[in-house]
Amino acid sequence: MGTGRRVLASVESTNAEAARIAPTLIGPEWILAHEQTAGRGRRGRAWVGPPGNFMATLVMRPTEPPAQVALRSFVASLALFDAFVAATGRAQSFALKWPNDVLMNGGKVAGILLESAGSGGGVSHIAIGIGVNLVAAPPRDQVEPGAVTPVSLMDETGARVTPEEFLCLLAPAYARWEQSFTTYGFAPIREAWLARAARLGETITARAGTTETQGVFETVDEEGNLVLSTPKGRQVIPAADIFF
Amino acid sequence: MTKKSHDNDVAFIQALAELLQENDLTELEVMREYGENNALNVRVSRAKEVVAQVAAPVAAAPVPAAAPVAAAAAAPAPEAAEDPANHPGAVPSPMVGTAYLQPEPGAPSFVKVGDQVSEGQTVLIIEAMKTMNQIPAPHSGTVKRILVEDGAPVEFGAPLMIVE
Repeated sequence: MGTGRRVLASVESTNAEAARIAPTLIGPEWILAHEQTAGRGRRGRAWVGPPGNFMATLVMRPTEPPAQVALRSFVASLALFDAFVAATGRAQSFALKWPNDVLMNGGKVAGILLESAGSGGGVSHIAIGIGVNLVAAPPRDQVEPGAVTPVSLMDETGARVTPEEFLCLLAPAYARWEQSFTTYGFAPIREAWLARAARLGETITARAGTTETQGVFETVDEEGNLVLSTPKGRQVIPAADIFF
Repeated sequence: MTKKSHDNDVAFIQALAELLQENDLTELEVMREYGENNALNVRVSRAKEVVAQVAAPVAAAPVPAAAPVAAAAAAPAPEAAEDPANHPGAVPSPMVGTAYLQPEPGAPSFVKVGDQVSEGQTVLIIEAMKTMNQIPAPHSGTVKRILVEDGAPVEFGAPLMIVE
């Protein structure tokens, strides 16, 4: 099935637009915006995207149960990783951080915000919002203390990629991983994700609320949980922020 | 009745009372036949605070007719009435994740106890694998109870709210 594309000069947020058009969708659709007036990240954090940066959302209406739909975090990060490698030819510069961060030379070059709506009967839609610092990254002092340093693709490589060019790399990369996910399930996604993971086998810190767990990053299990090997034994972590 | 058998009976009843408490039961009835014309018939019961808790929000509801129904249901099966997961108005979590009662930190909650909600209205968010999943009200009604705290981990199927 083909994936639609619409390009907007300006919108408050591509994820908000996705929620608006979801009820009338025929198939999956990419929404690309050249400007977001109220771009947002997780838990209401602002996402700043100056002109030239990539701001887009893929919206679709999946049929799996919500827990399975949520595994698209990994699908999206793989697609984004592949798009970066296609754009730069530098696979070694990129790595994945659980569950869906793509790092470039250890810095934050992109962000993914997945939003779905639904209950036991399934989700009505999922919006996979992706922001990429193609030409500019926010200054270091504008991000939370302890957060990964923001970087831009242009600063790191000297190359300028336009949002449309980037979408032409990202959309087919996503379609490939989506096909793999819907055909074979999470197993091949998990395997590919682990092959691109940062700090596998090294000590990392997982912070959830006030709980901090430090351990060796052993693997990601079949449900997508982070598995750390700690002095207290094997810990399976379903939700946390990761710090290196 | 001898002094010894009296002491034994008291000890037996005491043990039953403890059993009631430990297993969180409301009522326990035991018949012991020692011989002809020698039987002990004990019924230990207690008022459960849990039942009172269930009844309280119902009593506060605008439809008082619902109260006797809830009370009747509570009497034969106190265990069932106590578990909010079995409540017909329960909103179960569709997945393992983290509950968020507000759209973002510092913002007002999606809903509070006593609010009227319409079917499909977002009542909270469950985040799993960084996917923010908005949970819709399964039907229109009043938010009777909110069973999870903001930022708390939730299991698959765990009751999140009671909407009736």
